[in-house]
Amino acid sequence: MQFLLKRLAFYLVAFLVAATFNFVIPRMLPGNPADIMLANANAAMGPAAREALMATFGFVDAPLHEQYFSYLKSIFTWDFGVSVKFFPVPVTDMLMQALPWTLFLTGAALLVSFSVGTLLGILAAWRRGTMIDVIASPTALALQSIPSVVVALCGLYFLGVSNKIFPTSYAYDPKLDPAWSVEFISSVAYHGFLPVLTLSMVLVGGYLVTMRNNMIGQLGEDYISMGEAKGLSDARVRYTYAARNALLPSVTSLALSFGALFGGSLVTEVVFNYPGVGNLLYLGIVGRDFPLIQGQLLIMTLAMLIANFAVDLAYVFLDPRLKRA
Amino acid sequence: MKNLLKTFLRNRKAAIGLSIVLIYVVIAIAAPLIAQYDPLGRVGRPHQAPSADHWLGTTRMGRDVFSQLIYGTRNSLMVGLLAGFIVTAIGTTIGITAAYFGGKVDDVLNFMTNVVLVLPQLPLLLVLAAFLGQVSPLAIALIIGVTSWAWGARVTRAQALSLKTRDYIQASEMIGEPAWRMILVEMLPNLLSIIGFNFIGSVIFTIITQATLEFLGLGSPLTLSWGAMLYNAQNASAIIVGAWWEILAPCGAIVFIGIGLSLMNFGVDEIANPRMRSLGQVAKALKQERRLNRQRMQEAKQ
Repeated sequence: MQFLLKRLAFYLVAFLVAATFNFVIPRMLPGNPADIMLANANAAMGPAAREALMATFGFVDAPLHEQYFSYLKSIFTWDFGVSVKFFPVPVTDMLMQALPWTLFLTGAALLVSFSVGTLLGILAAWRRGTMIDVIASPTALALQSIPSVVVALCGLYFLGVSNKIFPTSYAYDPKLDPAWSVEFISSVAYHGFLPVLTLSMVLVGGYLVTMRNNMIGQLGEDYISMGEAKGLSDARVRYTYAARNALLPSVTSLALSFGALFGGSLVTEVVFNYPGVGNLLYLGIVGRDFPLIQGQLLIMTLAMLIANFAVDLAYVFLDPRLKRA
Repeated sequence: MKNLLKTFLRNRKAAIGLSIVLIYVVIAIAAPLIAQYDPLGRVGRPHQAPSADHWLGTTRMGRDVFSQLIYGTRNSLMVGLLAGFIVTAIGTTIGITAAYFGGKVDDVLNFMTNVVLVLPQLPLLLVLAAFLGQVSPLAIALIIGVTSWAWGARVTRAQALSLKTRDYIQASEMIGEPAWRMILVEMLPNLLSIIGFNFIGSVIFTIITQATLEFLGLGSPLTLSWGAMLYNAQNASAIIVGAWWEILAPCGAIVFIGIGLSLMNFGVDEIANPRMRSLGQVAKALKQERRLNRQRMQEAKQ
């Protein structure tokens, strides 16, 4: 319990760092930060709305620390300002609408890549030096050094455009209305296939290599020889003895891969015109919509921290020593 | 130093990786000799497929893709090396300092490292780059450099911590060697493999991230780089109109150097952890063992 509380405090600090970053960056640039942020404001934005938006970002007539607290107050009351490009839509509304798609994409990709990567890693370590290891491990490493932009663009070209197997944009057929029907869900799965595949390809290598290396470390331990000497089946030694212990460091590296996961999903969404946070962000960058860009940092940070916390929970479950502490 | 290079080159993966990277370096240096056209000039009709005149076709602006690719190599390598250097310098300094001094210093530095590690990096870079406007490659190298050191710091610290308990380190400490000597002379040489690993990894990361940032439109579209090529191709809807060469050429360049660098890193890792040095040799040993076992079984049956 104390372990989890400590982690929560740590995440709060991390979130504050992200918020402070948002606060400091515009103020460090030459020129009037408020003017820079609102330079591309939509013509529909009147002076009153402008004033309100400036107050949200802490541009009030007060000393710096009061500006800072005023900004923090807006954030912690879930007010990230309004988009200057799509005035008067609040940034949080736009982001919350896009977030489920991003979470769907990242969640599915994480599930696929972690299970496939870990399983292949177990097998590669178990049959070290055989075909599966000789082919899978270097391939995994090579895949890891290929950016998601490239994988996504190649996937789009080969499977979406030159062979029209998968759709090239949207999260579902625009002719359908969202509903819990078979037709709609299969349309979502169909449209999500390529983005999820792209994202998984980028991630799978890392999990494979980590798991393989951890497994190799475990396979040299005495308790493995003991298990074999007792006459346990290979599968039992492999999964319930070695893999179980090798999984712990793998879960740590899982937390470290969230950055690549969320970053990769931003890019993938842009390439596949998928209506998630990444695509929204792209619109924000094109239109220099700073409230939107800053809001996505906060939302992505929040998603990262929650994902990390989930890993902490898994850790407590996997490592009983933490429960006692 | 010579020995180190020899060990490195004896590893087949490392040697192949190094040759790939060297090819890129040669291309970057000799760019004006290799490229036949002005990479930013209108030298052909728009969107021509690869031909004898234009080996990799032309862009929508009628620019020669091959020449752009060749000149882009310079940019990507330079940004990669510069940012890789910054990342490694910061990461190594923080990692070793934290491990060597321990106590409060370690607490503060380690906390900082962990915070940076849980922040989503691409979104952070996007905010930074967006405020800076369409940034030059140099600025991209700098912002990647100062935001990406955390992973290296963490790994270096872990390795340095395990070094610290070794006898020779404790002996040197007893003799009363000053801190700078302990760090630079006693610890640093033994961390070379992890530093090299970190450096090469950072170069890969930078090349990938630069391409991503520029693809998202945060670089200057007039730069000659693989990322800018992707951005321009995306803007010209190259994929939709079937101009695959405009997209696949920079993709291939990025993939190939990524493979070269990661092969080098695989080699560094194998040299540093002999346990990972498996593939070929272990396969042979295992096969032999299996054959022996079968022989013994047969002998036992008879």
